[in-house]
Amino acid sequence: MVELFVILVSAVFVNNFVLARFLGICPFLGVSKKVETALGMGMAVIFVMTVASVVTWFIQYLILIPFGIEYLQTIAFILVIASLVQLVEMVIQKTSPVLYQSLGIFLPLITTNCAVLGVAVLNIQKDYTFLQSVVFSMGAGLGFTLAMVLFAGLRERIDLSPVPKSFQGTAIALVTAGLLSLAFMGFAGLVKG
Amino acid sequence: MKEMIRLLLALTLIAAGAGLILSQVENATREPIKEQRRLQMLKALSAVLPAFDNSPDTDTITQQNGVDKKDRPVEVVFYRGRSAGQLVGTAFKVVAPDGYSGNINVMVGVAPDDKIIGIEILTHAETPGLGSKISESGFKDQFKGRSLDNVDWRVKKDGGEFDQITGATISPRAVVGAVKKGLEFYREHKAEITAEGVTK
Amino acid sequence: MSLAKDFSKGIWKENAVFKLLLGMCPVLAVTTSAENGLGMGLATTFVLVCSNIVVALMRKVIPSGVRIPAFIIIIATFVTVVQLCMEAWVYDLYQALGISIPLIVVNCLILGRAEAFASKNPVVSSVADGMGMGIGFTLGLFILGSVREIFGSGAILGFNLFGASFQPIILMILPPGAFITLGLLLALMSRMSRDKSKKTASEGHCC
Repeated sequence: MVELFVILVSAVFVNNFVLARFLGICPFLGVSKKVETALGMGMAVIFVMTVASVVTWFIQYLILIPFGIEYLQTIAFILVIASLVQLVEMVIQKTSPVLYQSLGIFLPLITTNCAVLGVAVLNIQKDYTFLQSVVFSMGAGLGFTLAMVLFAGLRERIDLSPVPKSFQGTAIALVTAGLLSLAFMGFAGLVKG
Repeated sequence: MKEMIRLLLALTLIAAGAGLILSQVENATREPIKEQRRLQMLKALSAVLPAFDNSPDTDTITQQNGVDKKDRPVEVVFYRGRSAGQLVGTAFKVVAPDGYSGNINVMVGVAPDDKIIGIEILTHAETPGLGSKISESGFKDQFKGRSLDNVDWRVKKDGGEFDQITGATISPRAVVGAVKKGLEFYREHKAEITAEGVTK
Repeated sequence: MSLAKDFSKGIWKENAVFKLLLGMCPVLAVTTSAENGLGMGLATTFVLVCSNIVVALMRKVIPSGVRIPAFIIIIATFVTVVQLCMEAWVYDLYQALGISIPLIVVNCLILGRAEAFASKNPVVSSVADGMGMGIGFTLGLFILGSVREIFGSGAILGFNLFGASFQPIILMILPPGAFITLGLLLALMSRMSRDKSKKTASEGHCC
């Protein structure tokens, strides 16, 4: 139990997917102009990440390893994630129009979000058990959401501030992200994961 | 429906082609990859053992040390270096689970008189420029000639004799602790490990 | 003439790192040293050129309904080829780049070129396009890696520059350094070419 908690905290704060591992940078920079959309994107990522890691975990241990075809991992995982995202989109659209309205537009963007493929590969690399994989993926998604929302909040403030001309746009966003990442380094050593 | 079948067929064919190409590439790279891993192992072994003329990576003996989180036995492999048939040193891998960020893997070489010949940091994820200094020779060389009996196995900050690194105490502490545990395990099983067994 | 243009546009005018801001994850993650940046850039270039060739060759046979999944399979295949070859022949680099290698699959620079260029153009110009884009990407990674290595470890490609008295700015090779360095480089570039282009970052959603 303690171990699971450590994995969770470590994935959210210490080794934050966006700020320390650089996974999912593009949505982090692209969809973070408003707190609201950042939150929506984050929720969609948490959901897809958790489902994807469950499915890829079974694929790895029930198909790839027994048949000795681990080298097909990359292909298998990305295909699974792509079809999964499609499936989730269809299911949500049918069952919950409300949810679809808030998450729908983000789902197609998630296939090429490397944080999702990254978490699937890391689960295997770190030799996590099934339960640990699930906790790690949720932590990764939560960490992604946390970074997104904090960053979106900062950007909303930046929009109101006088920024030097050369820094306008992506440059100031990147420097801000750097400072946020620096702040998150304060969590290092909090837990060992 | 017909369109659907056409699409599925196209995708299946592409996937099959991809699988075919990859199985060929995998076949061609299997041996070189194995060889690379062996070379890496030999490189680490030669760094912590005195000159040997056998292949320590195949002259091994395995001891079990508890079980891991998936209830699989944890096996410690001891690599034996020999010169002219005489055992000149034994090497084994220890894992420091309590590094600053993640596990630190260390290879330790021990002479037949129980003194350390050298250590080598295999992998770590410590902070670059701080904790990462554990892989510099200034830190590693402190272990040479040490044994369980001739030194206090703690970093100086904790009252022992090993220099920590300025700004980073956790990484050296983890390495010192892991090497000490490894030596203790080695001492417990020394009789089996250094037995003049036939080469496997 | 237009072949040269297909090639050269990716190197600077539409540079993936500094102008299009595509494939940012590896850009930030592996540039702790110039060598890692170079290795990652070359691996990506290889995948990009190969996938451009195959996509251009098959552009008339792939039904457009399954275009994207087909491209993903093709790209993933070459990524795995690179992964296996690097493990077999350049093991140290393979270790240094780690998880970034399989993640080349989701580098949207590659899928982007397959979709926007190779699926509409003949093989030769697709090769030129892939080479140009790849070299531009490699250049970007190399520059960022060099800057971070010079300030963060006082060296370039492993050669010590300043001698022992130099106190490296460790921050530069830590994660925050990646964001800050790239931000400063972008600001510098926009400063140098202010009046020429009013570009802003494209709204990218992938890595």
